[in-house]
Amino acid sequence: MKILDQLNSWPLFLISGGIILFVALLSIVFMVRAYKAGVAIGMDKTKLRRTITSSATFTLLPSVSILLGVIALSGSLGLPLPWLRLSVIGALHYETSVADIAAKEVGLTGLNISEMSPEAFTTIALLMSVGIIWGVVLMAVFGKSYSKKFQSKPNVKKSGRSFGDDAMTAMFIGLITAYIGSYIGQFVQLQKGSLVFTGEYLQLIALIFSAIAMIIFEYFSNKKNMSWLENFSIAGSMIVGMAAAVVCGIIF
Amino acid sequence: MDINRKDKIFHKYNEGTHLIGRIGLAIGILLLVGSPFLMGFALDAMPNLSAFAKGLGKIALVYIPSCIVEFLIYTPMLGAGGGYLAFITGNLINMKIPCALNAKEIADTKTGTPENEIVSTLSIATSSLVTTLVIALGVMLIIPLRPILEAEVLQPAFNNVVPALFGAMATRYFRKGKQIVAIPLVLMSLLFVFVPSMISNVAILMLVSGAIAIAHAWLRFKKESKKIDVNNQNSNEEQ
Repeated sequence: MKILDQLNSWPLFLISGGIILFVALLSIVFMVRAYKAGVAIGMDKTKLRRTITSSATFTLLPSVSILLGVIALSGSLGLPLPWLRLSVIGALHYETSVADIAAKEVGLTGLNISEMSPEAFTTIALLMSVGIIWGVVLMAVFGKSYSKKFQSKPNVKKSGRSFGDDAMTAMFIGLITAYIGSYIGQFVQLQKGSLVFTGEYLQLIALIFSAIAMIIFEYFSNKKNMSWLENFSIAGSMIVGMAAAVVCGIIF
Repeated sequence: MDINRKDKIFHKYNEGTHLIGRIGLAIGILLLVGSPFLMGFALDAMPNLSAFAKGLGKIALVYIPSCIVEFLIYTPMLGAGGGYLAFITGNLINMKIPCALNAKEIADTKTGTPENEIVSTLSIATSSLVTTLVIALGVMLIIPLRPILEAEVLQPAFNNVVPALFGAMATRYFRKGKQIVAIPLVLMSLLFVFVPSMISNVAILMLVSGAIAIAHAWLRFKKESKKIDVNNQNSNEEQ
């Protein structure tokens, strides 16, 4: 049997599928409990349903990009392992680079199906699984005490205002500005003492067009009383940004 | 609703969340670490543990610090239920964190409140299920889907999902915190333009820009709180 056939065999699909099913069931348990608790503490059911709808639409496009990661890795690792890795704990940016490091460590020249052996594969699988597991371990051990700090002691000043929301907004702004800075740095950078335009501009195009689309969505949602649009504004803006990148890719 | 009753319900819910979360994560860890051995059993080829130990040394050096940082930063953003689910399902920065923040905006909840905890958990659970479904469908339909998803003309779209996501999120968050955007944005842009080798460390440098933004927000918060306190004092004196 060819190695890729072995890596795509039913037992491997069953192992990956079983673990993914367990995590999906855990998600369902959390979802049902949260919904019931929300209703029990008097939250508006419409608000809870809107949370579900908006999160589902929000997730569709990033999920497709994760699926692409699965497809990209399936050429060298078969389907079951990338399917498992990108459904449980995995991160798109992490898996490819770790798979490559792991492949080199087991003596391959890189992630290459022609050099792959069952032993190399299982070693790569173990490295990919254990390498990224630390966040989950920390959450399992310290999650209770750490998250309670933010629930039981909200940072409320004498004026009655809380810094919690401001801090979250600031942290997210910090995160986005770092990524925007990196896109700018990929487009224009200092090389050998002078500034050079690299031609890597599609990230900025996607970012700018998505931002413009979001402004338009928010205008209609807030000023024209079309609040239903809010559920789809992020997904819609992303489609516009990604479409702009495709158009620019065709034209230039 | 009576505050005490609400607290009681939420406390019970919260304790249950931690119990299920901890047990679920422990089982998840065991399954994940065990899966390569199960696959090894099926393929009749167990992992090479000495190669694994060497590789882990290299990978852990990079990923343990970033996992610690992610745990410290993302847990307050996600809450308990959202945190357990987001860490076990992964794809935090490119999906779960923005998804939970988007839900928080739409539901208009405040950080640290029971309502926010519930909205965050609902949002991450929905997101995890949708992702699982999309990937599972994609795996089942891989033969007809592959030519479409791998079409060269569509690659600029799929390669730029995260910039498109951040563009939309930036509109919302830059408006909310417009006073604190400029400093981290200018500093990060200059850093990456003049030291392009740092681009690969963006995941670590976002902590620096986050710290700058939080410090700036804290200074503004203190200043505004002081102003509100003085105004309240003046109006009390007038009365």
